[in-house]
Amino acid sequence: MNKPIEIAIEDLDLGTPAALSESTVTVHIDGTAVEVPAGTSIMRAASLAGTQIPKLCATDSLDAHGSCRLCLVEVEGRKGTPASCTTPCQEGMSVKTQTPRLDKLRKGVMELYISDHPLDCLTCSANGDCELQDMAGVVGLRSVRYEEGSNHLAASKDESNPYFSFDASKCIVCSRCVRACSEVQGTFALTIAARGFESKVSPSEENAFLDSECVSCGACVQACPTATLQEKQVIDLGVPTRKVKTTCAYCGVGCSFVAELRGDELVRMVPDKQGGANEGHSCVKGRFAWGYATHSDRITRPMVRETTDSEWREVEWPEAIAFAADRFKAIQQQHGMDALGAITSSRCTNEEVYVVQKMVRASLQTNNVDTCARVCHSPTGYGLKQTFGTSAGTQDFASVQQADVIMVIGANPTDAHPVFGSRMKRRLRQGAKLIVIDPRSIDLVQSPHIRATEHLQLQPGTNVAVVNALAHVIATEGWIDEAFVQERCDVASFNAWRRFISLPENSPENLAEISGVAAETIRSAAAIYAKAGNGAIYYGLGVTEHSQGSTMVMAMANLAMATGNIGRDGVGINPLRGQNNVQGACDMGSFPHEFSGYRHVSDETAREQFTALWGVDLREEPGMRIPNMLDAAISGNFRGMYIQGEDIAQSDPNLQHVTAALSAMDCVVVQDLFLNETSKFAHVFLPGTSFLEKDGTFTNAERRINRVRPVVPPASGLAEWQVTCALSKAMGYAMDYANAAEIMDEIAAMTPTFAGVSFDLLDERGSIQWPCNEQAPEGTPIMHAERFVRGEGQFITTPYVPTDERSTRKFPLLLTTGRILSQYNVGAQTRRTDNTVWHAEDILEIHEADAELRGVADGDWIEVASRAGSTRMRAHISDDIPAGVVYTTFHHPVSGTNVITTDNSDWATNCPEYKVTAVEIRPSSAQAVGM
Amino acid sequence: MTLDYSQQHLIKMANQIAGNMPSRENVPAQIVQHMAQFWTPPMRADLKQLAEQLPDSLNGEVLAALALEG
Repeated sequence: MNKPIEIAIEDLDLGTPAALSESTVTVHIDGTAVEVPAGTSIMRAASLAGTQIPKLCATDSLDAHGSCRLCLVEVEGRKGTPASCTTPCQEGMSVKTQTPRLDKLRKGVMELYISDHPLDCLTCSANGDCELQDMAGVVGLRSVRYEEGSNHLAASKDESNPYFSFDASKCIVCSRCVRACSEVQGTFALTIAARGFESKVSPSEENAFLDSECVSCGACVQACPTATLQEKQVIDLGVPTRKVKTTCAYCGVGCSFVAELRGDELVRMVPDKQGGANEGHSCVKGRFAWGYATHSDRITRPMVRETTDSEWREVEWPEAIAFAADRFKAIQQQHGMDALGAITSSRCTNEEVYVVQKMVRASLQTNNVDTCARVCHSPTGYGLKQTFGTSAGTQDFASVQQADVIMVIGANPTDAHPVFGSRMKRRLRQGAKLIVIDPRSIDLVQSPHIRATEHLQLQPGTNVAVVNALAHVIATEGWIDEAFVQERCDVASFNAWRRFISLPENSPENLAEISGVAAETIRSAAAIYAKAGNGAIYYGLGVTEHSQGSTMVMAMANLAMATGNIGRDGVGINPLRGQNNVQGACDMGSFPHEFSGYRHVSDETAREQFTALWGVDLREEPGMRIPNMLDAAISGNFRGMYIQGEDIAQSDPNLQHVTAALSAMDCVVVQDLFLNETSKFAHVFLPGTSFLEKDGTFTNAERRINRVRPVVPPASGLAEWQVTCALSKAMGYAMDYANAAEIMDEIAAMTPTFAGVSFDLLDERGSIQWPCNEQAPEGTPIMHAERFVRGEGQFITTPYVPTDERSTRKFPLLLTTGRILSQYNVGAQTRRTDNTVWHAEDILEIHEADAELRGVADGDWIEVASRAGSTRMRAHISDDIPAGVVYTTFHHPVSGTNVITTDNSDWATNCPEYKVTAVEIRPSSAQAVGM
Repeated sequence: MTLDYSQQHLIKMANQIAGNMPSRENVPAQIVQHMAQFWTPPMRADLKQLAEQLPDSLNGEVLAALALEG
């Protein structure tokens, strides 16, 4: 364990949000001159000048409300005592924040608040962490003159939410929670019900929190200035005593958090206001669903077994490492170097991933290393490299605030990337137009104060047809940004693309029947995007997990280049990455054909650099991808695998094939937190570390490298990179690092886009977006601003080729899969938290017409069968999906959704086609596991 | 000749690459380049063997690509 890292945590609340004006005004606060952007509130200006004006309803994450009347000030030359939170500074203004008149007013206000508030400060769970308590002290309140009368002291508690409590008796009706739910989260689940004395905070229509529209993001808890809305952990354990800044390990948004502890016991995770990705917001997973880290299922001692049908035997680290190394060496001797391989994990840090791929290439002497991005965003890597020159999204998250039109394709941000979803919704409420391309009617299509201008509800598998049709309209209507194309793109490739896309076969009218989207809808959407001003595309796995995933990524890139929507704020092509470190795992050389920084293994310059540093000859031919390794295992040529933090026996498609391959191997090494589906086929189990125990970095979907700091020591005693290094050494190749910072130093030395990155720089700046090097020492929020990474943008023709997976008489429905807000991927983490109250099992959503035809009622058990297999789950009748399409999640091993997904995959990358499986359903009388 | 899963998959992958190659100009050369970038030498060798044994199972452009490789 390294020495504790002390990072300054800035938690001063300036009262109101920053004004964005570029002009400034100078005001005098109690005689001190302060220059602030025009539009800054007096409260914020005073705070910046070092004077904290008392406040209760104000906080700098929310627009000023002006209701508590505690922040009154005197302004020279003006009558009355205006609220400093709602009064903007004006040039030359002279403000007094502390006078006898103000003291008296504030004390009177506080007296009224306290007259209807429990006087139980010493035993209150917020004792020491309560703004009401603080303000009573600040204004010098010593007594309350009012006699006991009508009050709210007997108001009942709402304990329905598993993570926080709502104690109405302590509510001062400041509306901070209501405003947080509306302005920050954008859910509008809370309101102030009734009027006057009867006013009270109400979830939905006076429902319990759990029964309301509340999504448990925690914004209301964060905003509450009293003990009214409070984490149950704080109520149970007490107020935290120390803090560590770190990064969430769920989705690709990569939110920064402050872990607050008592000793080594984590009390709560509070979103960090300084976090570049989340700016103080969170979702239910990052904020609350971290209890899995100390779940009793955690395996913290290494285990080995001779065969997969024998019992696990706990051993010490040296024995486990020696056991794995001996088996791997035996395989090498008998079957050759290419009989071994590894899978790196997007849940692990850059440093942990880097050492695994290094071990494979340098120690195991093969390029058989792949990563879980194979099954999610590998087409993004392929497609964006071909067109733009690098395998990454183009924007920072803040860019969406400048978008005039937002096109969301095959993504469901409010569920899968909720904190970014809230940011997007904020922009949509400000008036940006929204186009949704998705077979499902996701929440964004219609939610409070948001309505998609166009929803292209296409048939699964027809993405390329629809985007080609959009491009056809833009090209044939003369909406191409010719100046951008001529200046920034390869003109010959553009001309070829224009000829192709203008063909009648790509017209909306020709593709309407195939895609299921009316031609006029496509023409309308094309006009909206082409004439947007700033048009931004955000996409997810609904784009990549198709047989034409890579083609679709290139089709979107063509669209953006043709309309000049690249290289500035508010535009771009933005992959919403599924896992916390998908971007990083790909950057770190996890693919079998690439070193870190996306340099092909056949690139002699790159290979010589690595050979020189690592001191070994390296292979120049690509290694096997995950499906190739599995195929080779069944053929008997691939015999051993190191699997870092992945559960391929639940997450990968066509599970019968996956499990047959795992069964055929002589040595499977699993490094993970829990025994999982894959470990059933393992011979060695190496306990991993939760994100709270890791020391390293994650890189999020906007290429932002964030520090992951150890909050508690590793439960197993070793960091994961230490375990990998130990195995490498036992295999005969030493990888010596004193700490994770040294690994990052090697990454920076060997990876051009990371050249300027170090732990010291990250500690100093908070985070940084690659490329970070001599040309961009402060990182690169927006890529391709002056020129594309490859020089000129490359247009690529994108013919629509239908998938082989089609509905048939035997399997007439098309299944598409996805994930929901409260659960995460295979559920290994979230199933071990109270998030199960929202989603305890996978459920199949089916249109009413399809259900009725098959005699299925809402809640019925059904059997879902495809050509690959069958499973059972409950049905839910939903109008979010069109007739002919069914939808489910893959969070639970009991239902094992991937039993029914097939071996179809993207033509260029082998990313599985999870999003299209032909199935049939029928009523089933009993629950059973996947077959 | 009975094909095992791995052989079936190789044939499917190769045909899919040929069918989806974006530019329709000189597809065989593009297939060669794609396979050199992303396929291991044993996979390429296995495909070549399959092409000799079961040429009808492969797209003509895949066969042309394998012929280019020599």
